[in-house]
Amino acid sequence: MELKLSDLSERFENAVITLWHAAESDRVTKDQDLFEIATDKATFDVPSPCDGVLVKIIKEEGAEVKADETIAMIREDRS
Amino acid sequence: MDIRDLGTVRYEDALRVQTELLEERIAGKVPDMLIIAEHDPVVTLGRTAEESSIIDRGFFEKENIPIIPSGRGGKVTYHALGQLVLYPIVDLAGKKRDISFYIDFLERTVAKGLNCLGVPAGRISGKRGVWVRDEKIAFIGIAVKRWITFHGVAININNDIAPFSRMHPCGESGIRVTSAKIELGREIDMTAAKGIFADRFERDLEGETWN
Repeated sequence: MELKLSDLSERFENAVITLWHAAESDRVTKDQDLFEIATDKATFDVPSPCDGVLVKIIKEEGAEVKADETIAMIREDRS
Repeated sequence: MDIRDLGTVRYEDALRVQTELLEERIAGKVPDMLIIAEHDPVVTLGRTAEESSIIDRGFFEKENIPIIPSGRGGKVTYHALGQLVLYPIVDLAGKKRDISFYIDFLERTVAKGLNCLGVPAGRISGKRGVWVRDEKIAFIGIAVKRWITFHGVAININNDIAPFSRMHPCGESGIRVTSAKIELGREIDMTAAKGIFADRFERDLEGETWN
């Protein structure tokens, strides 16, 4: 599953990744904080959308991201 | 919605209360909250603040005013007695998952509160914060976790604004700052001001069209 800001909110300004709470290969659970972004006046802890494994971090700390860019890849657990 | 007036507290102590209430709000144990506080003098650096935004670090050191990092959004700002700080702990998931919309909402409700005091404050298109003419009177810096907000907005009521000249508030150089006291030419009753902003916020939170 590709993780994008546009999937989280109807309207997201461009943001900077300020902190990763998880590392590649980590198991993650739904709603666990994955990473923090900062916009002009806000910080936002982005939660995992599902249980699974954080397979790939594409945007590292300090990277600027646009709403429709892929930030990370999560392999979702099969139910 | 519940309102909690912390009185005058250190910034760190207010943050601890916010964090506790944030966790309780996430767990659904408390309703939306508005925390109101005044802070002892302190400079805070938001997540994207640059050290160069503090022009005269020596001034703050000489005055024993701490400079501390903060997890909120935004850049550098200054808090002191006589400045009213509002920290809403509000669940956006049940309203609108849109942080820009929430900041717009905060600016509108603070401007209306200032209008109730008699200050002709408003918003400026393309700029964040609340303004009187081209002078900034309220400063926004928020954080959101699980779509619950914390941190918030600082409103210059009676506080001395001189320390703002020792920094680039919000990272903007050449910015001019004002207060309600300067605009009205008199000291404002802080208890009355707290009541006005709390009432305004509660009405607007309920009255806002979130969809």
